[in-house]
Amino acid sequence: MNSPARAVSSLPSPATARAALERVAANLSLAVQGKDKEVRLAVTCVVAGGHLLLEDVPGVGKTTLVEALARSFALSFSRVQFTADLMPADILGAQVFHAQTATFSFRPGPLFRQLVLADELNRAPPRTQSALLEAMAQGQVSLDGATHVLPRPFTVVATQNPVDFSGTYPLPDSQLDRFLMRLSLGHPSPEVEARLLTTRDASSPVEALKAVTSPEELTELRAQVAAQRLDDTVAEYIVRLAQATRAHGDIERGASTRAVLALGMAARAHALWESRDFVTPGDVRAVLAPCLAHRLLLRSANQGAYTRDEATHLIEEVARKVVAPR
Amino acid sequence: MTRPNRLRLILRDLGTTAAFASMAVSGQVPVWALGLVLVAVLVSLMGWRPFARAPRLTAMLLVPLAGALYLAVAAGQMDLVVAACSFAGLVASQRLLSETNPATDGQVLLAGLLMIAGGAALSGELLFAVCLLAFAVLASLSLGLAVVEAAVPPGEPVPVRHVLRPLFMGVLIAMAGAVAFFVLFPRLNWNMGVRRATPGLGPATSGFADTVRLGGSGTLKSNPRVVLRAKLTPDPGSQRLDAYWLGRTYDTFDGQEWSTIGAPNKRRRTRVTLRPGAEKQVYQRIELLPAYGSRTLIALETPAKLGNALMHTATGDRRMQLQELGGDELRFVEEGLGYSYEVYSVPPGTVTDPGKLDQKEMDQLLALPATIDPRIEALAHEVVGNETDPLVAAQKLSSWLQREYTYTLELGGDVADPLMEFLFVRKAGHCEHFATALTLMLRTQGFEARLATGFFGGERVGDEYLVRAGDAHAWTHVLVPGRGFVTVDATPAAYRANQSLELLESLVSLYEAIEGMWRTSVVDYSFRDQMNFLRDMSRPPRNEPGKERTQLPPLRAWLTAALAGAVVYGTWRYLSRRKARAPVLEATRFVDSVERQLAAAGVRAVDGETLEDVSARLTREAHPLAPAVSPLTRRYLEARFGQRPLQPGEPARLLKELKHSVEAHKQQQQQQTPRARAS
Repeated sequence: MNSPARAVSSLPSPATARAALERVAANLSLAVQGKDKEVRLAVTCVVAGGHLLLEDVPGVGKTTLVEALARSFALSFSRVQFTADLMPADILGAQVFHAQTATFSFRPGPLFRQLVLADELNRAPPRTQSALLEAMAQGQVSLDGATHVLPRPFTVVATQNPVDFSGTYPLPDSQLDRFLMRLSLGHPSPEVEARLLTTRDASSPVEALKAVTSPEELTELRAQVAAQRLDDTVAEYIVRLAQATRAHGDIERGASTRAVLALGMAARAHALWESRDFVTPGDVRAVLAPCLAHRLLLRSANQGAYTRDEATHLIEEVARKVVAPR
Repeated sequence: MTRPNRLRLILRDLGTTAAFASMAVSGQVPVWALGLVLVAVLVSLMGWRPFARAPRLTAMLLVPLAGALYLAVAAGQMDLVVAACSFAGLVASQRLLSETNPATDGQVLLAGLLMIAGGAALSGELLFAVCLLAFAVLASLSLGLAVVEAAVPPGEPVPVRHVLRPLFMGVLIAMAGAVAFFVLFPRLNWNMGVRRATPGLGPATSGFADTVRLGGSGTLKSNPRVVLRAKLTPDPGSQRLDAYWLGRTYDTFDGQEWSTIGAPNKRRRTRVTLRPGAEKQVYQRIELLPAYGSRTLIALETPAKLGNALMHTATGDRRMQLQELGGDELRFVEEGLGYSYEVYSVPPGTVTDPGKLDQKEMDQLLALPATIDPRIEALAHEVVGNETDPLVAAQKLSSWLQREYTYTLELGGDVADPLMEFLFVRKAGHCEHFATALTLMLRTQGFEARLATGFFGGERVGDEYLVRAGDAHAWTHVLVPGRGFVTVDATPAAYRANQSLELLESLVSLYEAIEGMWRTSVVDYSFRDQMNFLRDMSRPPRNEPGKERTQLPPLRAWLTAALAGAVVYGTWRYLSRRKARAPVLEATRFVDSVERQLAAAGVRAVDGETLEDVSARLTREAHPLAPAVSPLTRRYLEARFGQRPLQPGEPARLLKELKHSVEAHKQQQQQQTPRARAS
């Protein structure tokens, strides 16, 4: 399963790639302390070329993480606060009429950045949500018959509050499927919280961050991810895991084909952390829950919102049951 | 017993059954041996092993059986090969019923091989081939499962589902390879040294015996097996031939049986002239198939000259002399698998000289059984009246019999006087009854007549006519002064030929077609046939007018070459892909060894952990073995999933290093323990 891209000499070596990832992760840890695992997964998601859904209560550092990501990768960044009155044009941009020349020109919206933070995505009306999700899927925006390509590399990080659901428009399952991973930062440990209190100076830790890599290098990393070798047996393992979620009695709807592809990409990216150019079953298991938990529809009552732990638990159970290739 | 184990045993037992069947289809294995083996097979298939507790004692049972077989052979009642085959079946049965262990499995399969060899000696026919194939497939699958079972550690389930498919594929590929080998490579005819092959379903006719017992062979009428193939010149062109194929005639009737008084003429000749020829003779090229089962020559009525006889044997064709017997019967001197010969026949109605009948034979044409009921003569007189012309009288009687009597195959067994029974009681019978009645009634009126037997009919297939066993028939020859013997048939016309079911007929035809193919392309397929096949394949096309002559092989040769190339390429691709996967398997074996060594050091995988997980855990826990396991795990992962196969000798080296680390770790633990105790 060698990809032709593998032969391209400009790809970073697995060791170089890992060094870049470690650099970014170390940089992020300066801003988001005590969340090494989540930080690594967030970097994995970005390097895999996927979009990230951050689901957590306010004030745990979601925005900080995203801003730190933008700074570390030196990506152009915009933050859109999704509200109930936000219209698609507010994020996509609009045609502006110039009276002097009697012509229209396109004024790009905040979506035209390399890293877009869609804060509280579930507060926006479905039309706006789907405009964003379409842009995520296509990598381009179509307005008045013209197509506008979004900048590359392009990543969306959306956040939503899993507790306060009043007056929100929960994301439909098919749209949740477009996020490669869903992560939750959770509250920092008491030690970290204490350290935050004592060490925080006037300036935000994010503002002090410097770029440790470049958008070009991110593009190369993504190419390396796409070129990672995925053995037939590992591919079969991924499929068996997905099938096991579909056959599970407590799961109404199991992993989709898109989820299978996402799992493959995320596992490929995860392999870079070990300086490998091939994927192991361990890589798959490492990204299994973040990639699948938000895509499963459980049979239990609260469908979606409050079943994060339950879904994760079921996925772990599936991972235990499905025998890994050896 | 676990389920997979049972499946393997069932396959083993069925394989042995197929091996035994390969001998049984010859029809030569005695019935008692058949019965014993059948019971043993049924019992073992149900999973019962009654001999498991006393294998030696039950093996002793074989000794008296062997003795009995020896006596049968010594007394000349049984063939040595048949006795040996029967004994092989009994040995296999004893093993089937004994306890199951690798040794028994081996012995059962070995007995199977012996029985296959026995089957080849007794019969080399299509049914044997089917049994051989079944044995090969079943025994291979059973052996394959046994290997898998042996490789799985005790207590773990055998992955039957996973291995059955590749096993089956392997067996199929092996079979295809064997066929290719068979066709492509020159070989000797292995049948040369073995016994005569037997006709697949056994002989279809009861043969042409010296006597015909009235009411004996009625069931023949429903047998659709082809016994004779004939090519006629001039070709009559009709789909159905209403012709009489004469085998022999009978002149003496004792009230129960027909026989011939003419002493068998022992002269042997290659060509026999029965009567002077006529101008318009019908030339026949006839083949008697193995199903015919008799040595008597058959010819269209009225045969004049017969010759050019060939006997077909398993090892080839042989020119053969003919033996002339009484009742115009001609026989092949020796018994063969099949025969072919040429005949010239005088068409019916031609004036022929009845030939060399001596006075005794002439007298016999008027002889009546000593105990004949006078009512028969009265009845005949009532029908014939004062008619003096034998042919007219015969036709009158024949018409009357056809009108007043009915045809039936429902026979009630032997009766004291079958003719009286037919004429006055049952008033129903088959061709032998009608023919006997006509012949004897003619004789009571002073007309010379005899019984003729053979076949009636002929069904056109291609440019040949086929005659089936069910076409066997009996009719009457009445001697007409100046014309010789004239055929008169008293049997109602509708019942003269085969009355088998269409379905049965087509099934039997299909079987015979396959059997014919098997015979020509397998049993009798020689080195010369192979060479001819290759020559035909590669011979340049014929010179067509208007086209330049080419020396290049024809299109079919190119197509075959392309097909062969594709098969070779496909096999190479398949094998190279398997080769690429081979290091992967080596990596898996390597990881097994690593895990065994780690287990010896007290490090065990828990909850479905892979080596990758174990290594990560050891690193996390700062286990003393972590530095040794970590690079080794990485190497395994590279070999297994990264397409960087382990180099020759590398696994051994890595394992050796691990072993050192494990031993060092153990020593360290031992040193720590006494200290802990001392403190």
